[in-house]
Amino acid sequence: MRRDWKFYSQLGLTIVLCLFIVVPVVMSALAGVTVNVFQGLSSGLTFRWIIEVWDLYTASILLSLWIALVCLAVTLVTGVPLAYVLVRRPGRLTRLFEELLTLPVAIPGLALALALLITYGGVSGYRSSWLFILTGHVLFTLPFMVRSVAAVMSAMDMKMLEEGAASLGAGFWRRFFTVIVPNAKPGILAGALMVVTLSIGEFNLTWMLHTPLTKTLPVGLADAYASMRLEIGSAYTLIFFVLIMPLLIAMQTLADRGKRVSKRIETAEDTL
Amino acid sequence: MTTQIKLRDCAKTFTDGTRALAPFDLTIEGGETIVLLGPSGCGKTTILRMIAGLEFPDKGGVITFDGDDVTHQSIEKRRVGMVFQSYALFPNMTVAQNVAYGLKVHGVSREESDARVKAMLEMMHIEMLADRAIDQLSGGQRQRVALARAIAVQPRVLLLDEPLTALDAKLRVRLRTEINALLRKLGITAVYVTHDQEEAMALGDRIVVMQKGEIAQIGTPREIYCKPQNPFVADFVGAANLLDGQMRDGRLHIGNHVFDAVDAFDPRHGAIIDQGPVELFFRADGLSTCDAAHAHFTGRVEAVSYLGERLRLTVSGIGMHAVMIDTHADDIITAGADVHCQINPDRLTVFPARGDSTTAVSQAR
Amino acid sequence: MSWAHNIKEGRSRPSFPFGFSRQATPGVGSPAILAMLMMPGIIIVAAFFLIPLALVAMRVADGPDGWATYFVILTNARYFASLVQTLVMSAGVTLTALVLCAVCGLFLVRNRFAGRNVLTALLTLPLSFPGTVVGFMVIMLAGRQGVIGSISDAIFGEKFVFAYEISGLFIGYLYFSIPRVILAVMASAEKLDPQLEEAARSLGAPTWRVVKDVILPGLMPGLISSGAICFATAMGAFGTAFTLATDIDVLPMVIYTEFTRNANVAVAAALSIALGAMTWAVLFAVRCFVGSSADVAPRGGA
Repeated sequence: MRRDWKFYSQLGLTIVLCLFIVVPVVMSALAGVTVNVFQGLSSGLTFRWIIEVWDLYTASILLSLWIALVCLAVTLVTGVPLAYVLVRRPGRLTRLFEELLTLPVAIPGLALALALLITYGGVSGYRSSWLFILTGHVLFTLPFMVRSVAAVMSAMDMKMLEEGAASLGAGFWRRFFTVIVPNAKPGILAGALMVVTLSIGEFNLTWMLHTPLTKTLPVGLADAYASMRLEIGSAYTLIFFVLIMPLLIAMQTLADRGKRVSKRIETAEDTL
Repeated sequence: MTTQIKLRDCAKTFTDGTRALAPFDLTIEGGETIVLLGPSGCGKTTILRMIAGLEFPDKGGVITFDGDDVTHQSIEKRRVGMVFQSYALFPNMTVAQNVAYGLKVHGVSREESDARVKAMLEMMHIEMLADRAIDQLSGGQRQRVALARAIAVQPRVLLLDEPLTALDAKLRVRLRTEINALLRKLGITAVYVTHDQEEAMALGDRIVVMQKGEIAQIGTPREIYCKPQNPFVADFVGAANLLDGQMRDGRLHIGNHVFDAVDAFDPRHGAIIDQGPVELFFRADGLSTCDAAHAHFTGRVEAVSYLGERLRLTVSGIGMHAVMIDTHADDIITAGADVHCQINPDRLTVFPARGDSTTAVSQAR
Repeated sequence: MSWAHNIKEGRSRPSFPFGFSRQATPGVGSPAILAMLMMPGIIIVAAFFLIPLALVAMRVADGPDGWATYFVILTNARYFASLVQTLVMSAGVTLTALVLCAVCGLFLVRNRFAGRNVLTALLTLPLSFPGTVVGFMVIMLAGRQGVIGSISDAIFGEKFVFAYEISGLFIGYLYFSIPRVILAVMASAEKLDPQLEEAARSLGAPTWRVVKDVILPGLMPGLISSGAICFATAMGAFGTAFTLATDIDVLPMVIYTEFTRNANVAVAAALSIALGAMTWAVLFAVRCFVGSSADVAPRGGA
């Protein structure tokens, strides 16, 4: 294709946009390993800030990972069957429920948190435990799991596959676990990555729901930004990036592979 | 091991109130291949799904396999083998795993299952595909795997739901021949659903022609072809030409011509049609071209198609609709010419006239 | 004859809710099993979403002004100003993001060049950054030690610092909006039928006409639905404003202050419900307008 000024001006805009996104990320990463930000890189590199963050915030980081994993487990157990029913039995009630399920995404986290606080804020054992935060995260991430799984499920002819399995003698649970779930795997995987990533980064809800003893990673981040020196905040951000990056890359790879597979199916030809 | 299947008083009304099937009885003998034939929407697939256990008949209907009442048994308990139009192979398993699935469900031991899978794949000539993923297979290969999978569990009845429809024409004929040979070899009771009458003729021991949720005729391919019992069957199995006539005192009048020896037995009423308006169905060989002197009719050629061994003329001006006439391939006839033709009364199928329902048949086609 | 035309062979698609009927489709899982499958989800949504939401709605009535509190967002000048500011801000960010991402997204989908995948990956990087991190990124960009400040200092001898103003907030909102919108634009650009464009060109249409008549209409559903998501996110965004910690009065910040500093639960709840209802209404309207085709893959059948 001929490359004219149009190509290069669009490329230019895209690069500017990329710089807009990437420069602050790189800056903060660098600031996190710089001895003194105010003097710049010339002051030398150090792991001091990272170690300091680790000392200060290990508990928050680990709590975040723990909540993300439990949140994943809960959304898997509830979300996959839910997606199955929504796809398999389309009807007015399921439609309504689907709409209901998108609400936690539409309604600002702050409002959701407020509702939870007003309802369960008085249950002291629950209010002060990590389970309270988990509740918020499950509500917020469940729609993503359901959506992701339902999208894959409705793309395959589930009714036909199930009838095939049933004709071979397989009962419902056997069909569910040997045919439905394995074939929905790409959706489940994508949903799982999404849930973990969102849960680790969730702030709006968590800030309202946390207690001094149940701080998650982003809560700690806000704390560090507000009250620590810039280098500490940067180092903490760097740790967050390191945690989240593999998840993002995995998500992207998964999406690309999905595209390739669907292309291969289209080109399967009939040679007996 | 062949299973006799009986359906008694089976009807089907869907939950939204539409009547898919009027009550009917059907007996499928052990080892017999029954073909359910009809246009889409006639209820043939519903019958198949009832036998499978994917639909239950309305209250009062009874389905038995060798005398065992299976009416309320769900599909997974019925031990049926089913082959779907779009294969329904499990994409998360290899070819061998697909074939082994039913065996695993039935608790067949590992060694026996492996041996059975191997035998099945060999029988379907796809042993080299055993470890392939489903999305690497062509349509024809997929259908072979689907067949192997359905047969592997040694089902009481093999149910095939338009298995060849998704394939291209050449492959369809080839697989049809193979399926035919397979069914004879296994001697299994089989129900085959199709809308293709050629497929039905080639495969069926008996054919059930369906129309609008009712059984129009049950018979061997020869009976269906030569002795259609009603205009719908005649029309559907390919006797597409239609002329109007009158019976007067047992003699057939078409226009000014009178024919004596006509088989005007109406199977539905079990009586000879003696009087009244009739409809005459016949194939392209029911009329033949001749010289003007012997002609019963003269029509105008609308179109000529060259079919290799013969020419097929579309001729207007003889009946209400254009009729097809076959003639020698080396005749030189062009569109627009007049053509004289003779009727062969032996080839006519006579039914009492239906009045305005004539149009319904042509719509159904 | 009339019913015969309604038969869909072997495919009973009941219009009943759930299609739960004793004989609907046997062998596919009984109603009891399906209900059991849905139960955990229903319990979670009911106990932790529906009931709390209802309670919040009730709580509003307990405030000094009773049910009138719901209208406080319109009657109180400060809240109303904040609402307007939030709306204008969200709409502005949405529009900007849509324009930028439409250009770049189309460019990335339609051109193949070295580094293309890297650019795509980088643009979608902040997809799951929490608001606080985005706020921090704005500080890195336009704060006292920010890049823009350093550059302007070197060139003009003066530091441009605007992270803590409304323009900083705008930058922040743009920062988290770009990945969402660009993904949606690229997804719908990939679905565009190149034959349509070729047909338009073969009919002699110049480039701008092709863009206006073929490409934009094709992208529109994707643009509208991603715009809606972007708008909704911006309306509810809290972390960014929180980190930039200025006196910027976006609605979520107002709610937060009312709840924590002033302990004015009723007003906070009323504002939350108003905010939630508005955001949901926008999303719902868009879904009705574009149709659910934008985000729900086609249902199997046929």
